[in-house]
Amino acid sequence: MTDFLAAPPPPVDNTWASPGIATGIVLVLAVVAFALVVSVRNRVRNQNDFFLAGRDIGVGQNAMAHVAGGIMYSTVIIIIGHVALNGFDAVLLLTAFVMSTVLAVLIYAGPMRNVNAYTIGDLFAVRARERPARIASAVITLVIVTMFMIIAVGSMAFVASRMFTTSPTVDAPIVATVVAIVGLLAIAVVYIGGMPGVTRVLVLKVSLMMGFVVVLTVAILAEFKLNLVNLLNDAEANALPNPRGDLLTTGRLFGEGATVNSDQDPWVHLSKAVSIAIGSIGMPFLFMRFFVARSGRAARQTAGWAAIITVGFWACMVVIGLGAVALLGGDAIGKVPAHRDITLPKITDDLGGAWATGALGAIALLSVGAIFAVLLLNGVTSVVRDVLAARGRTLEPAEELKTIRRYVLIFGLAALVFGMVMLTQLTHIFIPTSIDLGAACVLPAVVYSLFWRRFNTAGLMWTVYGGMAVTLFMVTFSNGVSGDPTAIFPDADFKFIDFEPGLVGAPLGFLFGFIGTMTSRERNDAAFVEMRVRSLTGATVAARREAVPPATPTSLNGRDRAGRTLSEAH
Amino acid sequence: MGTGDAATASDQYAAVYDSAQFQDLQRRSNGFIIWASVVFYGWWFTGVALAAFAPGVFRQGIGGPFNVGMLFLFLSFALVAAISGLYMRYARTRLDPASERIRADLEGGLR
Repeated sequence: MTDFLAAPPPPVDNTWASPGIATGIVLVLAVVAFALVVSVRNRVRNQNDFFLAGRDIGVGQNAMAHVAGGIMYSTVIIIIGHVALNGFDAVLLLTAFVMSTVLAVLIYAGPMRNVNAYTIGDLFAVRARERPARIASAVITLVIVTMFMIIAVGSMAFVASRMFTTSPTVDAPIVATVVAIVGLLAIAVVYIGGMPGVTRVLVLKVSLMMGFVVVLTVAILAEFKLNLVNLLNDAEANALPNPRGDLLTTGRLFGEGATVNSDQDPWVHLSKAVSIAIGSIGMPFLFMRFFVARSGRAARQTAGWAAIITVGFWACMVVIGLGAVALLGGDAIGKVPAHRDITLPKITDDLGGAWATGALGAIALLSVGAIFAVLLLNGVTSVVRDVLAARGRTLEPAEELKTIRRYVLIFGLAALVFGMVMLTQLTHIFIPTSIDLGAACVLPAVVYSLFWRRFNTAGLMWTVYGGMAVTLFMVTFSNGVSGDPTAIFPDADFKFIDFEPGLVGAPLGFLFGFIGTMTSRERNDAAFVEMRVRSLTGATVAARREAVPPATPTSLNGRDRAGRTLSEAH
Repeated sequence: MGTGDAATASDQYAAVYDSAQFQDLQRRSNGFIIWASVVFYGWWFTGVALAAFAPGVFRQGIGGPFNVGMLFLFLSFALVAAISGLYMRYARTRLDPASERIRADLEGGLR
């Protein structure tokens, strides 16, 4: 995945885009999306509604929205081209994303919802001192959100460039216009609808995208009269030859020489696979899907159904990728990494014509816009629930929505402008870096918080900042920054790491947490016991009870009211 | 936070934690998570290591265009769905009844 935004792409003869139809469909989708968002506007009455939809999203809708959170430009459009180009090894990398969903089912989903979290800071704060715990959560969340938002803006630009103009190179005015409009619409969705609005847009997006992918899969299988053997044989026969291996066997990525200027194969792709499998689900913006579930059990079912839907969705992408090379031939698909994103539009055009590519462009634009909205909401949640809370500030109930919406505007506009400025840079390493942080910081910190009795504040600090430091250190000296034609500084060469830092970062994150914990004298068995009971049962007793809106009848009892005041105080 | 309330709260958590009912729930929950993780990730990491260091294994044909590697991919996909489905079922039948009882006992005094 490191070569995700390899830019500026060499010119390509754009034979597929139908900008007129795509724009028409986008306008329809924008109207539908806004009707959905406006229809839930009245459900947003307080902070809890805005950030978490009142923790009242049903399992079905939530599972769909969870799947939607992982569907991006890189994970659909690019990966299909990747499969068409690199066959078996690309599918193996793709399964890593599917593997990571199991981590959410087994470890993240239920406990996170059970402790009534808004951010991972609420989870950390049970085991560590409140202020450092919230700052750690803010640092992780905001670093990942910022990197992903830049990528999201970049993805909008790619969709615009591939699907909304037939220019062979980047048509800057059109791209900038599309990005600005979509970015502003995404900000408006969050501003008006908060979590209920964003959730609805995600469900719309994933329904359309899954519908599109399933129809395309069926169309491809129909071309082969549902005969998978013929599809595979044709794919192998038509694929571009590659000295490292046949299309349907391992070697194209895992073989020696797959990585430019590197002698670290096969560790490069092995480490990518491992990092994705343990890190890619550890994204704070994905955790929000668990926080909005009605109970720990509902959160677990959300993750479980999302994993099962994901399996089906990605299996379709394998068929499309191999079908594309079988039907179009190796010369027609994207042949260099920078062109992997033309394969899906081309096969769509081949089978469905202008209306199909128009629909693909519109759905893709909705998809990346929705991701921008999700990230924005997650970032603002972290600002209010981590940063302000760490500074001892709570929002006045009368003013809270106004304040939150002001943060949405500030954060959203800043991210959009910054993202557009960064369009000129090669920022493709931000996604793998985020995934590495998910493996090196989030996974160890959450696992220790949930399961290790001795874990304490120092351990959390060491895990989070130690894991982050080694990850950023390794990224700085990786081929994403220098020593590669697609690096940020292609002319410099100070890299010595080609493998994905998560492979080393995750064990180091665990090690740092262990060292930090054992060298600190802080020991809080009561907090461990509390975490175990709360994470397994969802039970809370007075002192830590979450704020209950005044309208709820259960808050009439004296002990509960005391509990509420206490939890509002921190 | 008020020390009185905090002490009461942690006493209550401690009492629940020490109860046989909770220990049993925790054992079952952790048992499933650990076994499922070991089996599942063990399987998949082995496969990735084979692709990287022993590609010959995955290249062996098993009839037609199919090979061992493709069988591995298919089983991995199936395993994700199977483990997710099994855990949802296990939790619904073996974990949730106990955890709901414990929660009701713990919060019961407040309602």
